[in-house]
Amino acid sequence: MRDYSLNIAGYKIKFESASDGPGLEPSARFEGSLVRSRNYDVLVKVHRGRFFLPREAKRVFHAPFTEEREGMIFKRSEEFWDVYRGEGDRLYVCTVFPLEKFMERGTLVFSLKRDIWELWIESGSKNIDPLTYPLDGLLLYYLTVIYNDIMIHASGVGFNDRGYIFSGVSGKGKSTIARLWNNAGARVIHDDRLIIRKINEKYCFFSTPVYDNDKPRQAPLSRIFLIEHGSENEIEPLNGALAVSQVLANCIQHNWNRDIIRNLVNAVTDMCKQIQVFRFYFKPEPSAIDFILKYDSEQKTY
Amino acid sequence: MEILNQKPSRSPSVVTRKTGDEYIIVPVTGNIADMDSIFILNETGAFIWEQIDGAKSVEEIIGLVVDEFEIDRETATNDVLDFLNSMKEYLIIKV
Repeated sequence: MRDYSLNIAGYKIKFESASDGPGLEPSARFEGSLVRSRNYDVLVKVHRGRFFLPREAKRVFHAPFTEEREGMIFKRSEEFWDVYRGEGDRLYVCTVFPLEKFMERGTLVFSLKRDIWELWIESGSKNIDPLTYPLDGLLLYYLTVIYNDIMIHASGVGFNDRGYIFSGVSGKGKSTIARLWNNAGARVIHDDRLIIRKINEKYCFFSTPVYDNDKPRQAPLSRIFLIEHGSENEIEPLNGALAVSQVLANCIQHNWNRDIIRNLVNAVTDMCKQIQVFRFYFKPEPSAIDFILKYDSEQKTY
Repeated sequence: MEILNQKPSRSPSVVTRKTGDEYIIVPVTGNIADMDSIFILNETGAFIWEQIDGAKSVEEIIGLVVDEFEIDRETATNDVLDFLNSMKEYLIIKV
């Protein structure tokens, strides 16, 4: 197809193939996010070919290609993606596609102040998915930056009218606790990465498409738990600056720009004034879920 | 002590945010924030931080701490010097 629109975490993202562009074909994981919409928060025009960075562009952020195994992070390749800053407010994200055979390079040319972005893809394929990994996470991340939202390493579940986030870096048990909640009948919003947004003065969290069967999901945000494996189930409330600093450490961030850093610190600080944060040491068994539900019902003030 | 006449200033390489009586300080090194090294200032630290402006001397800041928290001068001196030394070590202030 030549164009389509997605709604991910409430962001309306329209893709349009330029006159020199390839056919567009969203992967299965985005099928649940397809929408019919003329409006957009960002329009991405897709071109085929290599984009050559202007001479003045300076690299401000570099990410190597890493792999997580058993809670450990291993570097597989130095080359992955980089952020460059050009003249004015122009930014460039240059990436390779390590999980794809037929896609070589992509360059997203964009600005945090404009809603029309350009994407160049080098690929021999007739049709391409413009949100091929890692472009999906990168594009979504910069939308969270524009809208002062929060992207966080966390699993999240909705249970009755409550929503709980379990945040931690790799190996802390995000997927484990999501599975326990799933077995307890909760609606798992996602088990790895969430976007938190403040909508009509209330915080909600949203899934981001990662797996083929992903459907858009969201829940109101009631509590944030920073998880650790423990020999007993135990909860410790965190308050003030300590809560903010601990949540910040789990947020996804490319903090090469002071304004981006400041906005994220402000967004997390404001959220922690409204949403209680806890440290949660948990045993990987159903008792962890009962423990949370009992604690939350005793403490619930909103 | 010579340090009492110094006029400390804040490093521009930090992002700060006050929450309640505390401060969050995020060091920014080479334009990359180090979220694993976030500093939290308690009420006393936050007050000292707010007095550091490149114009007040350490002696003056100690005097303000004595007035604000109604503590003796020796305790205030220790608090301020401890604060300055640890913040200087992490390049968050210049003395």
